[in-house]
Amino acid sequence: MSEVENKVVPVESEEKDYVEDGKNKLIVKCKFCGSKILDKKSAKYITLEKELPLMQQDNNRKEGEIQNESVNEFYHVENMYTFENIGFTHTVANCKYLSCADCDAGPVGYYDMETKHSYVAISRIVHA
Amino acid sequence: MAKKTYDLLFKLLLIGDSGVGKTCILFRFSDNHFTTTFISTIGIDFKIKTVELRGKKIKLQIWDTAGQERFHTITTSYYRGAMGIMLVYDITNEKTFDDIVKWLRNIDEHANEDVEKMILGNKCDMEEKRVVSKERGEAIAREHGIRFMETSAKANINIDRAFSELAEAILDKTSGREADADHARIAVERRPSRAPPARACCS
Repeated sequence: MSEVENKVVPVESEEKDYVEDGKNKLIVKCKFCGSKILDKKSAKYITLEKELPLMQQDNNRKEGEIQNESVNEFYHVENMYTFENIGFTHTVANCKYLSCADCDAGPVGYYDMETKHSYVAISRIVHA
Repeated sequence: MAKKTYDLLFKLLLIGDSGVGKTCILFRFSDNHFTTTFISTIGIDFKIKTVELRGKKIKLQIWDTAGQERFHTITTSYYRGAMGIMLVYDITNEKTFDDIVKWLRNIDEHANEDVEKMILGNKCDMEEKRVVSKERGEAIAREHGIRFMETSAKANINIDRAFSELAEAILDKTSGREADADHARIAVERRPSRAPPARACCS
């Protein structure tokens, strides 16, 4: 393989084996029950920094406290009907959280009320 | 603009008294294999599910009433765009069954007249507490020409089947309309939709 060829390949898809042409190469599924969330090649791979509540909150946390973690790899879904199966929570601070439609695990991402775009956290799903 | 990845989109509503298990039909945290504490605190607004019927890819957008179960709060705006309604009662609670008639009237007043309805007798896993017999459920459904099914959100009995059947009924209607689009709309006598064959829901 020549170096010239390598240069035309976008950096991201070169690094991530689950990304092809800037999109999810594989089907996106729930980590816990395998429910199909996105069809292959239906969402854009993006990096952005976002604080998401942990899927499992510590039972000993202070009342009203929410434990977050920083997530930085997402699949960007512009139209909510692109999803195969997904749940949307009630609105919290201008966003809805995404959850598995079959087992309710989540948040697996969030939905921005202003732009109406959804973002699926890659660390919280599996590829198949 | 991304290309459309589905053929049809149906908006469905869950309606009925509070406590009948509508939220559990949409949101099955009770029998989850792990506790999604965060999601269960906030609650689910709606879900998108994809089903394939007769080779068509159909997106279902399913809404819960989110605690606004009193009749006066559920009006035209809530029903807007709804193509299917799941009317839910609790087989262990007589009042929720009696209220089905009121809900049907509310739907008649506020929803689109050709909205497809289905009555669900939920909590059929609680046979020992049953006060509404399956026959009574079937009878009221027959009387109004509506489909009927007993379900258990908790035990995951008939839930997916109920959604598929409702979607199929809407599909029947939709394809009929498409085919007739060029003709003047003729009032066709509605085939009394038989309740699906009674299938033992819980043993």
